[in-house]
Amino acid sequence: MTISIKTIVYIALSAGFAMLVSGCQPVQAWERGVLAKPEMAIDPDPLETTLNNHIYFSKEASNGGHSATGGGCGCN
Amino acid sequence: MKTFQVMIMSAFLGGWLPLALGADAGDQAPGFDLPLLQHDEQAALSDYTGKILYVDFWASWCPPCLVSMPIMNDLRNKLQQQGIDFEVLAVNVDSDPEDGIDFLLDAPVDFVVLSDPAGGTPALYGVKGMPTSYLVDQQGNIVMKHEGFKRRDVDMIEARILALAGQGN
Repeated sequence: MTISIKTIVYIALSAGFAMLVSGCQPVQAWERGVLAKPEMAIDPDPLETTLNNHIYFSKEASNGGHSATGGGCGCN
Repeated sequence: MKTFQVMIMSAFLGGWLPLALGADAGDQAPGFDLPLLQHDEQAALSDYTGKILYVDFWASWCPPCLVSMPIMNDLRNKLQQQGIDFEVLAVNVDSDPEDGIDFLLDAPVDFVVLSDPAGGTPALYGVKGMPTSYLVDQQGNIVMKHEGFKRRDVDMIEARILALAGQGN
C-alpha cells in the first residue's frame, strides 16, 4: 500500500490544526481571580472616563460613540 | 473529510468535557481530601458521612461568595443549636490562599474552610460559576446544586435542609 504525498500532507495539516484548536480552553470558574481584579475592568475609572469624554466632545464639537451624555442644545 | 471533522469536534469538546461530566443532583458527591485554609490539617468529605452537608466553592474575589459566608455561618449555627446534624464544608479556590485567609480574618466563620488553589475539586464537581454549592444528604448523595447566591436564597436552602432532617413542612 502506498500513501501519496497528498494524503500525508492532509493528515499532517489536520493533526496540526486539531492541536491548535485544542488550545481553545475555556477559563474555568475558579481561574477568574485575575480577571476579577478592578484594574482588569474595561473602564477602571468611570469618573475619569466621563471627564475625558467631556473634554473630547467640547474640543471636537462632536458627541457620541462612547458613554458620555450630552444634549443636542449646544449649550455645553 | 469525515475524519477531519471528527478531529476538530473532538478537539473543541475536549476542553468542555470536564464541565459536562461534573456532579449534579442525584449523583454521589465526589470525594475529596484537602488541607484546611487556616490550619495545618486535612479534612475529607468522608469524615462527614452521615451529616447533612453544604459543600460550598468560593473565592475572595467573588462578591456573592462573600455575601454567602456569614449568612451560611449563621444558618449552620442556628440549625446545630436546633440539634440538626448539619455542617458546612467551604472550599476556597483562590489561586493565592492568602487572599482567602485575609477575608476570613475580617469575617471569621465557625465551619471548616478547605483550600484547593489548583482547582482539582471544583473541576471534579464541574463548577461553572462562583459560588456553586451542593447540598449533600446523609447518604452522600447530592440533592441540590445551587449556583450563585442572593440573600433570599437562604430560606430555600434552610427549607431543603429541614426536609432532609425530617423536619420540613
